[in-house]
Amino acid sequence: MMKALRQEAAKLLQEKRAALIIGFAEREGHPALFISKPEDCERLFYDVSCRQNLAAYLSKPEVSARRPVAIVASLAALRSLVVLTAESQAAPGQVLALAVDKDAFLGTFDVAGAAELLRSKYPDLGPEKALLERVGELSKKSVVERAAFWAEEFAKCTRCYACRAACPGCYCARCIVEKNAPQWVSTAALGHGNYSWNIMRAFHQSGRCTLCGACEAACPQGLPLMVLNAALDREALEEFGARPGYDPEGKPVIGSWSAEDDHSYMR
Amino acid sequence: MNDDLYKPFLLRIETARDEAPDVRTFRLKFADEGERVEFFRRYRVGMFGLYGVPGEGESTFCVASPPTREGYIECTFRKVGRVTQALQDLEVGQALTFRGPYGSHFPIDSWKGRDLLFIAGGIALPPMRSVIWNILDRRAEFGKVTVVYGARTTADLVYKHELAEWAARPDMTLVTTVDPGGQTPDWKGKVGFVPVVLKELNPAAKNCVAVLCGPPIMIKLTLPVLSALGFSPKDIYTTLENRMKCGVGKCGRCNVGGVYVCKDGPVFTLDELSRLPAGDM
Amino acid sequence: MKTIEIGRFSDLAQALSTAGYRVAAPVDDGGVVRFKEWTKGREIALGAVPVDSVKDFLFPRSEVVARFALEEAGAFTPVPVERFAPKTVALGVRPCDAAALAALDAVFNWDYRDGSYNARRAATTVVSLACAKADAHCFCISVGGAPDGTAGADAILRPADGGSKLVFEALSDKGRLLEAMVSDGQAVPDAPAALKKRFDPAAVGRWLAANFESPFWKEAALACLGCGACAYACPVCHCFDLQDESDRKECRRLRNWDSCGFGLFTLHASGHNPRPDQSARWRQRVMHKFSIYPQKFKTLACTGCGRCARLCQAGMAIAETCERIEALGR
Repeated sequence: MMKALRQEAAKLLQEKRAALIIGFAEREGHPALFISKPEDCERLFYDVSCRQNLAAYLSKPEVSARRPVAIVASLAALRSLVVLTAESQAAPGQVLALAVDKDAFLGTFDVAGAAELLRSKYPDLGPEKALLERVGELSKKSVVERAAFWAEEFAKCTRCYACRAACPGCYCARCIVEKNAPQWVSTAALGHGNYSWNIMRAFHQSGRCTLCGACEAACPQGLPLMVLNAALDREALEEFGARPGYDPEGKPVIGSWSAEDDHSYMR
Repeated sequence: MNDDLYKPFLLRIETARDEAPDVRTFRLKFADEGERVEFFRRYRVGMFGLYGVPGEGESTFCVASPPTREGYIECTFRKVGRVTQALQDLEVGQALTFRGPYGSHFPIDSWKGRDLLFIAGGIALPPMRSVIWNILDRRAEFGKVTVVYGARTTADLVYKHELAEWAARPDMTLVTTVDPGGQTPDWKGKVGFVPVVLKELNPAAKNCVAVLCGPPIMIKLTLPVLSALGFSPKDIYTTLENRMKCGVGKCGRCNVGGVYVCKDGPVFTLDELSRLPAGDM
Repeated sequence: MKTIEIGRFSDLAQALSTAGYRVAAPVDDGGVVRFKEWTKGREIALGAVPVDSVKDFLFPRSEVVARFALEEAGAFTPVPVERFAPKTVALGVRPCDAAALAALDAVFNWDYRDGSYNARRAATTVVSLACAKADAHCFCISVGGAPDGTAGADAILRPADGGSKLVFEALSDKGRLLEAMVSDGQAVPDAPAALKKRFDPAAVGRWLAANFESPFWKEAALACLGCGACAYACPVCHCFDLQDESDRKECRRLRNWDSCGFGLFTLHASGHNPRPDQSARWRQRVMHKFSIYPQKFKTLACTGCGRCARLCQAGMAIAETCERIEALGR
């Protein structure tokens, strides 16, 4: 698998289909690796312990300046690419994916190809069972109990925004938490501001999150961010039929309105 | 020494004057006499302060009045962000918070007996105005005083009433200019960019100190003119701006290379600036 | 000799608590070890380097530094801020975190003295814990520290008898005040963790001072995603923001942690940004720790705790950067 990935990456550079490959290094922690010479592709590595979603780099100016770019992409990262394209954030024809799934190299795909692959072979990606069980357990609690649970978790947040940096979907040049006229969200790492920030981050991902888990993996304080993400993923699916990351022309649920939407909450 | 670093002085707005579009001057009185005395004990021209509106925050800019006027301080600032907007929304009689004076100052005592050339562009006259008035209030101690001041348009010239006063003074020379196209039909000053006007003026560099403040492009184009006139980098002074929060060398954001603008600056000679990494400005 | 059975370590915390101290210690908090206020019954986790350090108790994430009562029509009255500086014992502080206090003391006291920091510093007794183990990210030995270093500590606990006991040694008057709470005993101290020197900080500093514009920075910072995880976890990083927050009755002026890694950190209101990209920000981080700080305060702003690298999602490792810099300087 690794051999095929390395060969394919080198070929992309040789054929100038990519000027930059972003993959994972073999050394401890598997940090992101940036390669522009074919011979360096031997250093590429992938296994399921590679937790970063490399699509997060596509919005970085230093990276977009070096297009065309190919990223090593897990299925979730492939979905992120499709979401970014749907949201006009990935330059068409300038981004390729070296697709990987667990221990298999699936080939090189452009965004349309990636969407096709996902639709045909992986049509119902969603939260893993264990995660859904956690969501289920928490949903059984009362509103007061749930609020207390999250208040205790969010109290640990230092507002380092590692979750935001990890997420391909968090590409705003100026995040709402940094808008100060007016100041919507308190920037102090204290109770109510932490609560607002974390809920807002998750909410802005509803129907856009591809459940890659990079945010939770990045959190130094170990907040269970995926529980929130998964809960919102199910809401978006059940209420709006949203399955983000399958249609490069699809409209994000949070950014669109339809007369068919459920409006029963308005009384 | 007071170690309650973020406890501000209280200043009350005595007068407010519009200088140019979005540019306003406040004359501010100290609410507390002890604080006034403390301020003037430390204040020298070129130092800055943090002006604040509770609920909105603090903003950094210079003190625009000289230490020779001990009853008040004045500041002139442009509305660019949340805090400066809130400051401009304040009315005469209302209070604001102030921390300062902080930073380095223009060493005017070492300029005694020398000619002085001030070159300013647009909103950069305020940090220089305190120096000019300080010099004029101690006029006999200095040689020739020349001020070259330019703005984009006549509307953008600040301190218009004072420019008239300076123009009428026999003991100084004032040259005002606006960029081509920025003049009104009744404009009596020059038309042209500051570096060009300075070149025409051809001031003598011998025994002269130049103080230069303005937008980066003006500074960039004026420095070669000063150099050609024979000014040494040690005799050219300017003042830097950088984003600041604490003003007292702790919050970590205003450094240019190893130099903290809030502590080592904001006043620098060109000689000092040339040793800083340009890529950090 | 003063010794403590490792299994009875919480007894010391309890004794200190009873004596009126606030106790801070590494505590297992749902799988993550945090350096936080100890409360009765909590297990103290001495085995792992906590994600937070003692810094949080001296320079908290968020602190009110000025307060104003808001009145009608924009009028306000300043309200004095009470200093929060309870008598505290920080237990089980890693030697690298204790060493960081010298760097914090320097910045909070050059010229202008920060009263609230100093009050907490004076009220805190630092009891460090020598490291018998180190991981791949630890590099204290490369930056002038040691796994059993005593800098910044009022007392040190040294693992002994194969890790079953701790030997308590007072290092200052504050530390000696605690001696009475530890019983006499005998134990053979264990060897401190073995670490290899990875780079010479002086050589790194020399290269940094001469290579501000090196192309190295562009390439070295590619992986950095611009979050604040490294700065917030760092026992030395102390950059902050001041922010006003108010309700109808009161405004609180807050000092919040901030990071040079954030794009908005140096952004001018005009839109100009002196550090427009991540390479300029990563350069600032490395420069500040290994060039600017030592020039200004005669101490490095890095104590080799390795937290930044341990926590970085993108694998940015400052020790590795220093190794590469040293190689460039050869």
